[in-house]
Amino acid sequence: MLFHTWPFLAFMLVVLPVYFALRKTRLWLPWLSAASYFFYGWWNPYYLLLVVYSTVLDYFLVLLMDHSPARAAEAGRVRGWSAGDAVMRRAFAISMAGVAGIVVAGVLGPATLRPALAGLGVLVLLMAAGAWFASRLIWLFVSLVNNLALLLFFKYARFLVDNLNAVLGSFHFPGRLPDPSTLMPFGFEYLLPVGISFFTFQSLSYTIDFYLGRVERERHFLRFATFVCFFPQLMAGPIERARHLLPQFRKFPEVRLENFTDGLSLFLVGLFKKLALANYLSVYADRVYSNPKAFDGGALALGTVAFAWQIFFDFSGYTDMARGVARLLGFHLILNFNNPYLATGLGDFWSRWHISLSSWFRDYVYIPLGGSRGGRLLTYRNLFITFLVSGIWHGAAWTFAIWGMLHGLGVLVTRELEQSAFYRDRVPRIAKQSAVFIFVAFTWIFFRAETLTDALFIVGRILGSGWRSLQVPALMVVLVAVVWAYQFLYESRFRELLRNGVVRVGLAVSMMVYLCLCSSGGGAFIYFQF
Amino acid sequence: MSDSSPNKPELGPDGAPLPAFGVNEMRLGAGQWVAVALLFAAIVLGVPRCWKRVERFDTGPDYRVPYSLSRDYWLYSRRLEQVADPKALVVLGDSVVWGEYVLPDGTLSHFLDREAGATNRFVNAGVNGLFPLAMEGLVRHYGQAIGPRKVIVQCNLLWMTSPKADLSAVKEESFNHARLVPQFRPRIPCYRADTSERLGICVEHEFGFLQWAGHLENVYFAQKGIPQWTLADDGNDPPGYPNLYRNPLSQITLSVPTPFGGDPDRGPASPRHRAWDRSGARPADFEWVDGAVSLQWGAFQRVVECLRGRGAEVLVVVGPFNESMVAASSREKFLQLRGQVVAWLGANKVPHVVPDALPSELYADASHPLTEGYAMLARRLWQDPGFQGFLTQRNP
Repeated sequence: MLFHTWPFLAFMLVVLPVYFALRKTRLWLPWLSAASYFFYGWWNPYYLLLVVYSTVLDYFLVLLMDHSPARAAEAGRVRGWSAGDAVMRRAFAISMAGVAGIVVAGVLGPATLRPALAGLGVLVLLMAAGAWFASRLIWLFVSLVNNLALLLFFKYARFLVDNLNAVLGSFHFPGRLPDPSTLMPFGFEYLLPVGISFFTFQSLSYTIDFYLGRVERERHFLRFATFVCFFPQLMAGPIERARHLLPQFRKFPEVRLENFTDGLSLFLVGLFKKLALANYLSVYADRVYSNPKAFDGGALALGTVAFAWQIFFDFSGYTDMARGVARLLGFHLILNFNNPYLATGLGDFWSRWHISLSSWFRDYVYIPLGGSRGGRLLTYRNLFITFLVSGIWHGAAWTFAIWGMLHGLGVLVTRELEQSAFYRDRVPRIAKQSAVFIFVAFTWIFFRAETLTDALFIVGRILGSGWRSLQVPALMVVLVAVVWAYQFLYESRFRELLRNGVVRVGLAVSMMVYLCLCSSGGGAFIYFQF
Repeated sequence: MSDSSPNKPELGPDGAPLPAFGVNEMRLGAGQWVAVALLFAAIVLGVPRCWKRVERFDTGPDYRVPYSLSRDYWLYSRRLEQVADPKALVVLGDSVVWGEYVLPDGTLSHFLDREAGATNRFVNAGVNGLFPLAMEGLVRHYGQAIGPRKVIVQCNLLWMTSPKADLSAVKEESFNHARLVPQFRPRIPCYRADTSERLGICVEHEFGFLQWAGHLENVYFAQKGIPQWTLADDGNDPPGYPNLYRNPLSQITLSVPTPFGGDPDRGPASPRHRAWDRSGARPADFEWVDGAVSLQWGAFQRVVECLRGRGAEVLVVVGPFNESMVAASSREKFLQLRGQVVAWLGANKVPHVVPDALPSELYADASHPLTEGYAMLARRLWQDPGFQGFLTQRNP
């Protein structure tokens, strides 16, 4: 279900009143989780199983971690199931029974189930090991394997298989790896579940944080389930941390008039960004990128700039709506965008763009790799790896990997530049902002192009061919210029102007009228595919 | 104006600062939202009404909504509102009433006017591409102006010639006026719009401002959204964009284009205006959908009931169908179906006329007469005692 569609309005018209009526009772949480599952299941009910599975497993893995000794030395002393506590003994027995059940099902059950059972079998064996050694590390490993395996299978398997088969083919190897769709049980369709990268990362952050002692175990299953599937941010973030969102679910939600007005404010801005701006820019960007050979360098450059703004409006619009809906329900989600195109460096850009993902990678990839603790070279290696992983997170294609690497390189270069006093103090801010925007827009070519060949063609034509008949869509330029000017104004000393009540009311009414007159409905959010 | 000081961080349950509200200060308080609601309501309610006063809309004799504006339902509604004379008869129907192959002065309403020796007594309220399921939506949502007055509704059996025409086939079809068909009940199997689109259409039916926005798109922006219009290409390779630097506001000329007389696709001078068998058509073995299960016939019944519910006095003209195009093998089914239609009309005391089929050479296809065919049909209707009885009854 998409925020900017009529079914969502109908959904909210049912969910909100009941939620308000139940908010002082114990039923508010079941209602919220039921609404969240309905919201997700609306798209494809079968993939609800994945969310539920991931939730249940991580809930129990953290429970088991909680029953395992905190320190490795203690875990080492607990050898064998007789020495563990009752929970460990039960976990071991259930795991072994599970292994037996999987073997029986594999032998007697339908053949299409076997690949899934094999994967599950490995996982259950790992769990048995975790119970045997009563090891937190193994439980964490199980959670990582499980979540990443889901992601790997549904998002990257086809990409990996295609590339491996290409490599095997080039060596004239007779065998071929099967297409992942053939591994789906009962002939289910092999589709990328919407938002899988988001909910797996959110759930994973909880297990990692618990392992690192950053959060308490959530004992209430439904509360944890609601944390994972909270519908405003389930599909495309912001990727919330347990220590921020879970405490908000531990008390009766407080819904004040301010929540309502703030929620509506955020939602309106998000809706405007999506329907009026992103969808409009997509008309031009899609046209250019779907057939780049038909356009000259100027049009391709313009299409790239259009896409740069499209993806910003699309994703930040989604986030605004998500935060607005959460506010209506009495919850606060973290800020995910902070005028990223006003950044003065690539590092600054990533502290403003998709903040929840950047901080996730910082906390769970960059810092575990060593962060900036090992000198300049190691720091740069860690940064580069982090950005490469971030690129691959966005999609299973070489274009995304290159996009990530380019950003990694960009961050290294701007970090180096910022070391010099000349760049830091003498280069005008506007020049830095422009340079960052141009670089980021350039990298979007790889992000948006259908194939690597297309991306390279577009780069070549932008840099090489004459910009013969540049036709600039005036309305598009005006809209983007107004938004950019607004953002500049916001970061300037004239900010107070924007706080004027008349200005706000005027802007809100203008947005609503524009939406009625000019919005192009429909169109899924770009980040849903990740 | 209320303002909850965005600079002051809010505290969460654990006492830690909560995230900032947003970055661009579009944070409205309750009072401001009330102001927004009032202003928006004033615009939404006021602008379409004012627009009717400002925009020129000339409807001379024999006016019919132009082909290019067939989907401008707001304009259709406005057209019906303009029929002020309570004695005027509204002639409602599909392209047979509208006059697919003929000019405005070759339509059924024109020739009925001629028989009556009057001007604009019979109002052409046909819409090109309409069919009963869409007519139901048109009458319900955009035909409120048809109140207690006499209405002639044409029943075209063409829409029951096959499950595909009846829209009861399972295979997905795209068809005209999908925004007018029932979106949820009764279910149309071949209509596969998603729930969001269906709900959006339902909202549009109730929200005049959106209809008016659609009117602007239809009349001034070539049936495109305004932003899409600015990026419309000319279809060349490489494409050109003729509207890139045009001011969209300058397109709004405040005048609805009037249909010009010299339509090259219609009228006796047009190559399309010829007898059906000269176009290579042959008699067909129609499947015919039984009246008991036909979606189109069910919709037609609801149209009649809806109009009568509003106090309108309805006369149904069944046909004229080109019986020469019905192969002998399916003729019996045709007669059976027509019998079902007539029986329902009789049982519900709906005045109706079933004119004899016109000479075969006066049809352009299975249901559309040529200009002379309309003239003959009007003459026959005028001479029909049932038709005369309907005309001479006191207005409801």
